[in-house]
Amino acid sequence: MSGIIDVSNIIYSYIPVAIILVVAFLMPPVTMFLVKQLSPRSKSPVKYETYEAGSVPTGSARIQFNVEYYLYAIAFVLFDIEVLFLYPWATIFREPSITIIATIEMLIFIFVVLFGYLYLIKKEALKWQK
Amino acid sequence: MEIPEILFNPWLRSILGLCLMGAIFIGAMIAVWFERKLAADIQQRLGPSRAGPHGIFQLVADAIKLFTKEDIIPANADRFLFVFAPIVLMGSVFLMLVAIPFGAVIINGNTYPIAATDMDISILYIEAVSAVSVIGIFMAAYSSNNKYSLLGAFRNFARMIGYEVPLGICIVSVAIMAGSLNIIEISEAQNPLWFIIMQPLGFIVFFIAIMADMGRLPFDQNESEEELIAGWITEYTGMRFGLGFFAEYIHLILGSMLVVLLFLGGWNLPEMLTSNMVLGIILPTAFFLGKVAIVILAIIMVRWAVPRFRIDQVVDLSWKRLLPLSLLNLGWVILLALLGV
Repeated sequence: MSGIIDVSNIIYSYIPVAIILVVAFLMPPVTMFLVKQLSPRSKSPVKYETYEAGSVPTGSARIQFNVEYYLYAIAFVLFDIEVLFLYPWATIFREPSITIIATIEMLIFIFVVLFGYLYLIKKEALKWQK
Repeated sequence: MEIPEILFNPWLRSILGLCLMGAIFIGAMIAVWFERKLAADIQQRLGPSRAGPHGIFQLVADAIKLFTKEDIIPANADRFLFVFAPIVLMGSVFLMLVAIPFGAVIINGNTYPIAATDMDISILYIEAVSAVSVIGIFMAAYSSNNKYSLLGAFRNFARMIGYEVPLGICIVSVAIMAGSLNIIEISEAQNPLWFIIMQPLGFIVFFIAIMADMGRLPFDQNESEEELIAGWITEYTGMRFGLGFFAEYIHLILGSMLVVLLFLGGWNLPEMLTSNMVLGIILPTAFFLGKVAIVILAIIMVRWAVPRFRIDQVVDLSWKRLLPLSLLNLGWVILLALLGV
């Protein structure tokens, strides 16, 4: 059996989520408040310098970075949306009246995306540029 | 015995969720102790041995130390993001925890999973909130104003987005086989045949992907302490560091639970073992948590046996090996399902 909560009323499923979310958001501030009461405090300008690698950092860290990471992010968006379309299909897969037609449609969809994947590999978009 | 209706009340379930939160903190502390002890064994050291028998109270001592350390926020850091990042990390792992069952109680042949909530899409929900942790890590790194932290966060991004796709496809394969996205129903669909037997390839891909998702070695490019100091968490000290550290270990435990629930049969046992009242209450949960402990053991042992991959190797592994393999597994599952297995 399943259904420890009445799933038909969607609010019931998400009441615990909301409560745990509030507790999880409150926990770090409360912990840090306790730390503030327990810990010693002493101020000195050196203490609040950025540690970085142990020596004095040169310049800001918010500088331009390798574009490679963004290219992967674009490829990711493409494939993640593909996976999102697979989820609803997975749940109705066992309905006998729809299995065959839905599977054929989904296979066509996967092959189209697979074609894009092969294109990405051919274009060497998924190759790490040194 | 009839189970009173009050047990299905969502408010009472929330209290159960809070108890599970406490339990997972103790679990994370045991996992940290376990990891240090095991690492010491593998490297022929003693490991923690002074605080209590076999150093079991070492983590309590560490927690007391963290509580009495001064909280330092670097002057150049972005204060808001710096303070908010551990909150996002903790929120991510605790939202995962809400939907994951910690075992089950079987009374008179009825199964009552020990979970804070029950949703019809819980596995999709778990994957979604688990992916939020990457934002917490990026917030921590970007606010630190530290070049090494930012490098670590970028690597974390590249790794996470690479492994999210094979992970998702493996979950879809499992969902097809179980016919549901509800993690409790998925777990119960594996009675008596575990999904690791039906789709061994899917298990391997899922296991590697979830290890990358949790940032365990050989996939901890966001920390890689030999080259990036401590990666994204370098500028964090005291308890703020402790919160991020704990979030990682809670993620480890919850990820191992996912492996057991999706592929290793969950809490299912032969009926003759659970027909007894007392055994039905104890055995399924003990069996489930025992399997979780074995998975954690395996993950920790991999950590001390395999060196860290370079970031380009990691990205290649996910895009050029795991993604085709997971699609192959999806095809295999469709074939099995069409044949009526």
